[in-house]
Amino acid sequence: MSAGESIIEVSSLKKAFGDNVVLKDISFDVKKSEKVVLIGPSGSGKSTLLRCLNRLEDDYEGKVLFEGENVNGASKEKLRLLRQKMGMVFQQFNLFPHKTVLENITFSPIKLKIATPQEAIAHAHELLKQVDLSEKADAYPQSLSGGQQQRVAIARALAMNPEVMLFDEPTSALDPEMVGDVLGVMERLAKNGMTMIIVTHEMSFAQNIADKVLFMDDGMIADSGTAKHIFKETNNTRTQSFLSKVM
Amino acid sequence: MFDFLKQYYPVFVEGTAQTIIISIIGIMIGILLGLIFVMMRLSKIKFLSYIARVYIAIVRGTPAMIQVMLIYYTLSKVLEVPQIQFLGSGLDRVIPGSIALGINSGAYTAEIFRSGIISISNGQTEAGLSLGLSDRTTMFSIVLPQAVRNILPALGNEFISLVKESSVLFYIGVQEVTAQALGVGGTLYDFVPPLIVAALIYFVLTFILSQLMQLLEKKMGRKYLRSN
Repeated sequence: MSAGESIIEVSSLKKAFGDNVVLKDISFDVKKSEKVVLIGPSGSGKSTLLRCLNRLEDDYEGKVLFEGENVNGASKEKLRLLRQKMGMVFQQFNLFPHKTVLENITFSPIKLKIATPQEAIAHAHELLKQVDLSEKADAYPQSLSGGQQQRVAIARALAMNPEVMLFDEPTSALDPEMVGDVLGVMERLAKNGMTMIIVTHEMSFAQNIADKVLFMDDGMIADSGTAKHIFKETNNTRTQSFLSKVM
Repeated sequence: MFDFLKQYYPVFVEGTAQTIIISIIGIMIGILLGLIFVMMRLSKIKFLSYIARVYIAIVRGTPAMIQVMLIYYTLSKVLEVPQIQFLGSGLDRVIPGSIALGINSGAYTAEIFRSGIISISNGQTEAGLSLGLSDRTTMFSIVLPQAVRNILPALGNEFISLVKESSVLFYIGVQEVTAQALGVGGTLYDFVPPLIVAALIYFVLTFILSQLMQLLEKKMGRKYLRSN
């Protein structure tokens, strides 16, 4: 796939929880190596949108295409393969507490036969180096700080060699002094050309990293464009009012 | 008061061995059934979930003694078990008896497993699925090991009560500790001393079991805190 081609295409996506309509007609696309940042007030549907992309949220209307393949129509087996290509990082880290850091990272590649145990372990050590946690390979998650846990979670997702990384408020549960380390790892990832979709409240980070910013409000993309457009030039009053509250 | 032990201790040894064996088989069947029924209970397929609910409700709502007798008399009509003697009782009684204990325990174990699974945050399942793992792998390799750790104390209680309740197999003629004590009592025309011995044996068995469970809990708890 050449640069500039869409890796994810979302069209007319609608999602409701019972009577509560959370996403109303969302369409956008993500190109290879592009960094797309979703911002907006709490409850605007950012996380739900992200979770529809790898179908952690099911039963939605509309279409999500990943590398041209239909995510919402995929069979269970197909969906598993699609999910392997979409790494996800959660607000609450969700490391497996009964496995060591190394086992957290190597479990899926070995289980899914993507790598031999030797390869998976070598890859894991390499990834731990990238997130500056080489010395923690044999530690259990509970003994790590939040920032460390989140970096392990990033390494765990990267171990599957994903095409895209989805970040669901990766720094929202962290103490302020830990935020920088995690954002640093994400910036390095971005520089290496990873395609990233990021839900975040870190506005200066968003401004620096984003090729495209989607401002979501009330289940819709209320405004979108380059970081420069959203943060400096937009005439959208809702965007302006949101940014004035958070910056 | 306990002079009779000189003569009758082999009977108690045999009864104790029988109690241990039917308990171990009962616990193993209980764990197996507990796992099967909790998966059914939590299944999205309504019919399976319904069957599991009915099983749990019936077992919890009826006396263990009646369950044991019903299973024994039903199985003895269906199953042809050779009348081989095993620790003083026929296998035709020991086998249905152990199965009955397992069926009874399975309902409680299923509910304990369910409480454990519910206690694990949904984020664990989502993390597993997001890595491309199947529902089954996520359940068996991610959720269940953590759930088991959380429910060890409750599971220990269930095992202990199974050991004690194995005494109901007396009603179908399994020569476990209680049956043996009553037998000795009948010969002596005095039931109190042999029943005290039986009570002591149960106490020692359950005490050892609870110590083993505590050891397991400590071991699993410590491991998770290792820092490098």
